[in-house]
Amino acid sequence: MPDHAILTAAAHAEIRIRHERGAAMGDALMSCLVVPDEFRRVQNEYVILFRRNLEDGSTVALALFGFENGENLYLHGDRWDARYIPLAMDIQPLLIGAAHPGAEGGQVHIDMASPRIGGGEGARLFDADGQPSPVLETMIDKLGALDIGYRESAGFFAALQRHDLLEPLTVEVTLDDGSTNRLVGFHVIDEDRLRDLDGSQVDDLHRDGHLMPIFMALASQSNLASLIARKNATLRLG
Amino acid sequence: MTTQGSIDRVVVVGGGTAGWLAACLIAARAPESLAAPVHVTLIESPEVPTIGVGEGTWPTMRRTLERIGIAEADFLLACDASFKQGSRFDGWRTGTVGDSYHHPFVPPVPGEPRAIVAGWQAHAADRSFADAVAAQPSICDQGLAPRQRHMPDYAGALNYAYHLDAAKFAALLARHGVERLGIRLVRDHVTDVRTSDDGDIAAVQTRETGTIAGDLFIDCTGQAALLIGTALGVPFVDRSATLPNDRALAVQLPVAADSPIATQTIATAHAAGWLWDIGLPSRRGIGCVYASRYMDDDDALATLTDYLARVAPGVDVAALKPRRLVFRSGHRERFWVGNCVAIGLSAGFLEPLEASAIVLVELSIEALLANFPANRSALPLQARRFDTLFRYRWDRIVEFLKLHYVLSAREEPYWRDHRDPAHMPPRLADLLAVWRDQPPSTYDLPQADEVFPPASYQYVLYGMGWPAPAPAAAAPGIADALAQVRQRGRKLGAGLPTQRAYFDALHRERASAQRSTGRD
Repeated sequence: MPDHAILTAAAHAEIRIRHERGAAMGDALMSCLVVPDEFRRVQNEYVILFRRNLEDGSTVALALFGFENGENLYLHGDRWDARYIPLAMDIQPLLIGAAHPGAEGGQVHIDMASPRIGGGEGARLFDADGQPSPVLETMIDKLGALDIGYRESAGFFAALQRHDLLEPLTVEVTLDDGSTNRLVGFHVIDEDRLRDLDGSQVDDLHRDGHLMPIFMALASQSNLASLIARKNATLRLG
Repeated sequence: MTTQGSIDRVVVVGGGTAGWLAACLIAARAPESLAAPVHVTLIESPEVPTIGVGEGTWPTMRRTLERIGIAEADFLLACDASFKQGSRFDGWRTGTVGDSYHHPFVPPVPGEPRAIVAGWQAHAADRSFADAVAAQPSICDQGLAPRQRHMPDYAGALNYAYHLDAAKFAALLARHGVERLGIRLVRDHVTDVRTSDDGDIAAVQTRETGTIAGDLFIDCTGQAALLIGTALGVPFVDRSATLPNDRALAVQLPVAADSPIATQTIATAHAAGWLWDIGLPSRRGIGCVYASRYMDDDDALATLTDYLARVAPGVDVAALKPRRLVFRSGHRERFWVGNCVAIGLSAGFLEPLEASAIVLVELSIEALLANFPANRSALPLQARRFDTLFRYRWDRIVEFLKLHYVLSAREEPYWRDHRDPAHMPPRLADLLAVWRDQPPSTYDLPQADEVFPPASYQYVLYGMGWPAPAPAAAAPGIADALAQVRQRGRKLGAGLPTQRAYFDALHRERASAQRSTGRD
């Protein structure tokens, strides 16, 4: 059960948070949320997929780490084998909380139930004099980037919808041992639709800054082969 | 098969810290350093106890252990060791409250000494010199380890050495040396040293094992100096006029499992000497160093008792069984004679200040291996070169230790006499005159491998309140560099664990590893 609290120097002066990677730290996840602002860095390592919430029609972007729940193929013991870790993973156990429902901007919250909290070997969030430590300052920068990126992503997803640029992903991955893994419920950029856009449509997307993330998401699909290779490598080891 | 005049049988006489360190370094390094293989024998007397209070090392120990081939965690756990990031000197200037300075292991920010000192005066005069130019003092004040556990062995965010249990250290080296490095251990008492016609040592006679012959003998027999002193008659150079300390009373104070572990040696001045305080995970080594000319044993015990009452109220000093050590400050006139090299206390000992004993063992072996005589005919020349180098080093160490005392304003007779120009090394007197106009620099300490670099002199000089020379023109960039020191201190302060947390985690990890492999 998460246990969210507003982060304050008074209440959390002595808190140390652990930055190491590992399943015990909550890193064994199949995917995590990413925002269009970080697509350029995400596509260097991961497949970017989209998922639609059928109830409210909203869309989120995800970086794919594995083929089944709890599988993170980038995680090797205490090592996360990638040059970039998505913001949503990197800021844990901090998160953005709303000051009150519907408020603009966020507050820094901390999940006191996170396995990243505790122990003497983590990084301090506050200096001895109660000032935010450089570690916290860096994390707050990332939280801010994630918050802004998330709030601005609504326009991006609306544009994708407006131009009907998402198509359901139908991928069946056959592994070296003959077993198959099926990815269901995800969407990707519809390359044919993208090609068919006319000049003014492209111009619209470009003006609003959506064109680059679209191409980044498209480019990210080439990482699927390396993700399959990672999966096959685990089969050989197993 | 011994070829004519070759040197391939090295016999180390004595098995304390010096003996085992010497034997292990030679055995481990010989294959890469020497053209021909050598066989190392170590003779350890079951009767002679080791001194075993050498508890402070230098950062050089990391390289030494790595070369010997011991994993850092194994070393830390086996020797009850902790991290040392320098020394803190309390009460040396005036003895009043707040009289304290740091001598950290990291150098000041890069730059010309004059520019750094001027920058400190211009931009950070509210801080001490060490605090202004290095992040390490603030890390020490917070009791933080210099590294995180996931870092590679012997690497740190800050330069560091170790505090250790010397008896356990010698035992670890002995085990490693015999099991892994092929050192032949002879547990026997040396009864006689046999010299040949040319004055070299031919063999040592033991009580049970008979005669042990060798080509090169390393005298690690401690203060007894059985080979270099008794057998070869090399005179002792007394330095006690300059450095009068000649006794120490040492105790080991058990500590609570969750108490902070100091990450620097704390040296507290008293009326006729100083006290060391060295924190290990399970105990504190505390000792009172004094000059018997100025303080008798009872007063020294009272001084030690006062200190213990301050740091550990209610402790029963008698139950700690203080051990008295007697020494004479000085060294041999020569360290390498014929085929005998004196290393460790047999070569000399000045006093425990700045922990120069163990590092001299390391430096001696490094110099020996780098200049290993190819055959017997090369011995005299290499001996002369070695003697020149180490006489230079002992002289510099004498001067650097003396520096700690001569800048004091304390008024006790001991301290006043320390300032007597008659006992001031002339070179140090000249340097102090130079340092009125300029900070210590490489011009004052020109060797490539000085034991104490100019930075150490700067830390002590300005820590003791020596006035900074008239400022040079403000150097561009120095304000930024000093601001970065603060920022780096904040970063390290947030990221480094306390020394206690580090060792708790290390113990937990080892315990769970042993459970899962069924070892005990």
